[in-house]
Parts: sequence; C-alpha cells; structure tokens
Amino acid sequence: MKLFYTQSEQVQHILKGLNLTKTLFVSSIIIGEPHIGKKSLVRYLFPDIPVVSGEDQQAVETLLEESDKLIITDFEKLRNQESLNFDNKRVIATANYVANQHTIDSLFAFIYHLPSLKERPKDAVHIKSIFLKQACKDLMIEESSIDPRSIPMNLSLNTKSLKKSIYQYLMSQNMNKEEIQQALHHYFIQHLEGNNGYKEHLGIYEIPLIQAGLEKFHSQLQLSQVLGINRNTLRKKIHEHHID
Amino acid sequence: MNTISIDFQPFVDWDNSPFVLFDHQGKILYLNNSAEILFGYVSKKELYDLALTYAPQNFGYKTTTLTLNYDAFNFYAITVGYENEEQLSIRFYNAPRIKASTSLQRDKLATTDINLLLEANIALFKTKNKNNLQLLTDPDIPQFKIDQNSFSKLLRKVLDTFRTSDSICITLKLLMGEHIMIDEKKTPVAQLSIKADDRYADMDEEIDILSSQCHINSSFHTYSIKLEIPLIQ
Repeated sequence: MKLFYTQSEQVQHILKGLNLTKTLFVSSIIIGEPHIGKKSLVRYLFPDIPVVSGEDQQAVETLLEESDKLIITDFEKLRNQESLNFDNKRVIATANYVANQHTIDSLFAFIYHLPSLKERPKDAVHIKSIFLKQACKDLMIEESSIDPRSIPMNLSLNTKSLKKSIYQYLMSQNMNKEEIQQALHHYFIQHLEGNNGYKEHLGIYEIPLIQAGLEKFHSQLQLSQVLGINRNTLRKKIHEHHID
Repeated sequence: MNTISIDFQPFVDWDNSPFVLFDHQGKILYLNNSAEILFGYVSKKELYDLALTYAPQNFGYKTTTLTLNYDAFNFYAITVGYENEEQLSIRFYNAPRIKASTSLQRDKLATTDINLLLEANIALFKTKNKNNLQLLTDPDIPQFKIDQNSFSKLLRKVLDTFRTSDSICITLKLLMGEHIMIDEKKTPVAQLSIKADDRYADMDEEIDILSSQCHINSSFHTYSIKLEIPLIQ
C-alpha cells in the first residue's frame, strides 16, 4: 500500500477529516496548487474508488449514474458543474483552483485547502529525499556521493520543479567532457546565428571557467597563472562578463 | 344539569402550553410538563417577573398578546390571573409553527453516528483556524438517520460563523422528554449547542434554510447557535 507522508498539522487535519468520512456518503473536495500531492493523497485514502478526470465530462456523468463512489480529478475543468447531483454519493474531488466559489460551496460538504510545498517545508525535505533516491537510481549515481543540502530546493512549481531541479543538478554534476561537448553541440545547433556568433557565445565557456577558477583559487593573480593568461586580460574578461 | 366533581389537573399536566402557578414570593407551587421543559431555557425569576408585569389590577384573569421567544419556544400571548393574594398563575400560548415545506425524503437519509460528522467537521475547521475547541458529546445518543451531505454542509457553515472566536465549546446532548413530530411520528431530539466568545451572523439565513432542509430547528443568539436535531429512526 502506498503511504502518504506529512508533518504538516494542516494536512494531518485533512487526513483525519477524510478518514472519518471514508465510509459516509458525503462529498469532499481538495483544492490547492498543481503538483502538491492532492491526487496522491486521495489515491492513498481511497485506493478502490474509480478515478475520472474532470476533462472527460461524459465519463464523469456516466460514472455518477453507475456508481455511488467516485474520485474526480481536475474538477475545475469540468463543465456544467451546477447540474451535478451528489446526493447519496461518496464523491472526492481535487481541483487546482476554484472556478466558481458558489458552486463549490453548494456541491461539497467538506472543502479542504491543501497547502503548497512552500508552506510545508518539512514535507518538501522529505519529498526531496525520495526524488533524490529515485534520481540516483535512474541516473546510476552513487547516492552516498551526493550532499542533498547542495541541491537547490526549487519549489516554484512544487514537486514538478523540485524533481526537475534534482535531475538537472545530478546530471550537471556527473557529466564528462564528451557529454558537455555533446550538450554544447546541441545548444549551438539551436542557437548559432547572425554574424558575431563567436563572441556572443564565448561566455558559455568563459563565465563558468572564471567563476569556478575564482571559487577554487580565490585570487585573480593565481587564477591568471593557472589559466596561463595575462592578469589584465583576466580582469578585462571579469569586467566584460560582469563577474563579481 | 348534574354537577359532578371532575379532576382537571391531568388535562393541565398534559397541555402543550406551559402553565405555572407561583406563590406570592415567586416560588413554584405547580408547573405542567410543558412548563418543565420551558424552565430549561428561561429562569424562574424571569417568568415570575413577567407574570407580575402582566397581572390584572384586580382579582381575575388577563390575556395579553405579545411575542415571546425562548430558544425553540415561541409564544404569541399569555394569560396571567389570581383569585387570592397567595397564588398567581401564568399560561403561555404557543405560536403556530410554520410547517416545514420540505417533506422527509427517506431515500436521502442514512444511519449515521453524528460524532463522526462532528469530528470530521472539527478537523476541517482546524485546517483553517487555530481556535481552542472543546467537544462534549453524550455517548447515549443513538445512531440516527440523516442526510449526511446536507448535515455536513450545515455543520461547516455553523462552525464558520465562529471563525474569529478565541474558544468554542460544542455540546451535544439528548433533550430528555422532548420530541418533535416528523411524518406524524413523535421523534426524540438531540441538541447541538455551539457557544463562543464571538460570532459572525453573516450566514444565519443560509444556515436557517439548510436546517429546514434537514428538518432541524435552528436558533441564533449573539454568541451561540443551537440546533435541535430529530433522531429519525
């Protein structure tokens, strides 16, 4: 059975409310930003109830006629919400936003607002560790070689951006010379044009080189020696690329 | 005409209109069954003062038309009378209740443990509010039939009116000896009382409509709401 982990008090109250009404014929809706675990929560609590997307109006209406239990995801996409009849049904819906507050208020007995991952920092850390484990497995990277704290926590799009940032970080940290060249090759194919291409794209090489060099050797003098270029040339490039 | 002695007391005992007999100090000498229930909602002193205020100037009886509301009790008139200096009586006239326009739709009702719905609604309330909340329930209240969805909506709206209150006390108890007629059947009643130190009245009208749909009697006060819920079997 899938588990749903949370340390958020607010989410624990939602879990309690849904658990208490699990056997009752009441309608509940969970509203919250995309990718915060609404569907996972519902599937965890109601694994045996049929799921239908609000995008499929016909399927929703058919299932409402045939069954007294139903999960409707993406409820905001469902048209003709006002005509729905949830009498004597156990309906659990999820929605990214409320399109019509009055309709939601009259259709649903229990209206829950699931907080975003930004509002659940402890949950975000836990989800990050799960994604990291999976990403390491997928990319064949030794998990012990990664310091999770160094991975940026991008929660702008909740789990979606978090997952993406983990994969991007791991891939960037584990590329060899050929893979970097391959990535640049792909980039230049897409972006190379005009009549000043060399100069325009030089920063792709020079900026990370100088930034990493300064981070590693701390002084411009030492870095200019390591790079084998004149100190003034290095200073000029630092100025050109606005590197602090 | 033959004169026979008739004991009228049982008729008064079982009269649906409250009747109270006070002595000259305001002590109760007699009260019928209906008045006994009324005393659950109003003090002895308040009713004695009322009787004194509306008593006739001389021995005899005086009926006054006035509107009185004590929770679910609504009266449109009282008769106050005395035949000696020692005893003062007061009788209340029940205002006719508006018959519920919604008929009982039994197919919508499901046998329910009300505590489950209460707990679930409290959990929902706690997702939005940090107020102190105390729940006192009567374990003797049996499961009864109710429209679970409509009743949950009603509870949600009722609790929402207390959203700014610092502390909320919810009490559920069986109203001993009280019944309401539903589908010509005498149905026992439970009272759900929610008291707090602050309350919004913005949803009272909506709550009243939802209550009627559930055959629940709702009464609104400055800092509390009471719901009289029929225990339909």
